[in-house]
Amino acid sequence: METGEQAQDFVPAGLASLGIEADEVELAVMQAAHSMFWPPIRDLLSMDLGGLQAEHDPDLSRAPEEDAA
Amino acid sequence: MRALDLSLRAQAAGIAAGEIDAGELLEATLERIEERNPAINAIVETFPERSREMLAAAPAGPLHGAPVVVKDEWPLPWRAQKFGAAQLPVPVQPTPAESGPYRALRDAGAVIVGVGNMHELGSGSTGNVSVYGAARNPWDVERCPGGSSSGPAAATAARLVAGAVGADGLGSVRFPAAYCGLTGLKPTFGRAAMAGHHMAATTSLIVSGPLCADAADCRLLGSALFGEAIPAGDAAGLRIGVVRDAVSEDVTPEVREACDEAIEGLRAETGGSVHEVELADLEATTLAGILIINAESLDGVTPELLNGLDPKVSPINRGFVKYRMLLPAAAIVQAERVRTLTRRRLAALFADVDLLAWPTIPAAAPPLDAPLVELPSGTQTADQANVRGAALANLTGIPAISVPVGLGEGDLPLALQLQGAWGADALLLDAAEALERANGRRWVEAWPPLARAEAAET
Repeated sequence: METGEQAQDFVPAGLASLGIEADEVELAVMQAAHSMFWPPIRDLLSMDLGGLQAEHDPDLSRAPEEDAA
Repeated sequence: MRALDLSLRAQAAGIAAGEIDAGELLEATLERIEERNPAINAIVETFPERSREMLAAAPAGPLHGAPVVVKDEWPLPWRAQKFGAAQLPVPVQPTPAESGPYRALRDAGAVIVGVGNMHELGSGSTGNVSVYGAARNPWDVERCPGGSSSGPAAATAARLVAGAVGADGLGSVRFPAAYCGLTGLKPTFGRAAMAGHHMAATTSLIVSGPLCADAADCRLLGSALFGEAIPAGDAAGLRIGVVRDAVSEDVTPEVREACDEAIEGLRAETGGSVHEVELADLEATTLAGILIINAESLDGVTPELLNGLDPKVSPINRGFVKYRMLLPAAAIVQAERVRTLTRRRLAALFADVDLLAWPTIPAAAPPLDAPLVELPSGTQTADQANVRGAALANLTGIPAISVPVGLGEGDLPLALQLQGAWGADALLLDAAEALERANGRRWVEAWPPLARAEAAET
């Protein structure tokens, strides 16, 4: 689990590494977004999807070509 | 009833039959916009001379002479889109152009009378943030009209026009349709005109779609956007799938009751059947949609561009567009795998049912100044709560439609969402019309207070 301190560090450290400037309000927005999105992102990354490979350049106007998983 | 209070199809039919003067209808529409728009801020720009020129040159198409509004998400030949923002976070700012929706409407004979407000950068389901100021809900001007297609919905609900074109990347046609008591179609991905959108080349989620009072008008306007007629059927024997899980059930009691009643009405009207089905990992599906649309919006974005962002962009969006740069690439890859998994699951599911039904919005329109909703799971922002029911269709490409199914506390609209298999746009419209028949068209003919008083006088 990411500790609160790590979460506090993630946004400013990430921005600094990319050279992106942010004021206090923007930082507060980003901290809130990070708190909201990071736990489910971690869950997503932990999902066991077996050997599933994403469709390459899928035609989203149609059903997938392969049968149901 | 005055011509400008008629349905879109009645306006077009009346003009075609010589019973309505299209020039008079246009001028009456422009007058009504002047009268009513200040209360709802739905239309951010009109251009009467351009509209008159469009009418003068309009071909004898299915929408000949019918006034419509287009969301601030596509360019017009005389105006670049602003996307509801002081600046788009893209390398090259848009310029005036003939967009796909413009050409589709022009070729169908429609007359664009105004540009509809929208939630800034398309990034919210409420419509309360915009460089033009918030749009307001005609049912209660202190409530959110929904977003991001806030202006097209509010304009249509207030009967400024009978139809409008919105865009839907994560529910942005369906939310405002639901909040404003309209019918809104999110077409199958790729079917409706999109050219000229600043993300047209990169998006795998955003589509244009019609917002109208009812399904028949959506069929007419949608046909123009599709470039081909959407055929009508009867939806007989409809197999309706319902999902009972945390996402679809975490709604207010009035929403649950209205949607359950509507589903039963639809079943009875079509002689169909209701089936409880399972669709696993809906929360991951929602997150996948959010991650992918945000990743796709980063095309060409650089730190320098973000550092130079116009300070008039709202703080929440200035912060969020910068946060996008920190999203982990591995999560985007995983989101694509979830998309594939979900598409396969849906393909299997649509072998057993014709459509899925669940609430479009978990609660009625929240206040503009505090867009929060009270759900069984607790208080949430409307954005957090709304997106859970919408992302599936955008992520997978399937069509979806929001249909009004009641008025809740405070006379605020409630809505049911129907989702079908790829290419089943016509079936969704058929089902929406069957639902209208089932409830005696009570909800598609319910008018908000802003439009009701004058209609009663004429």
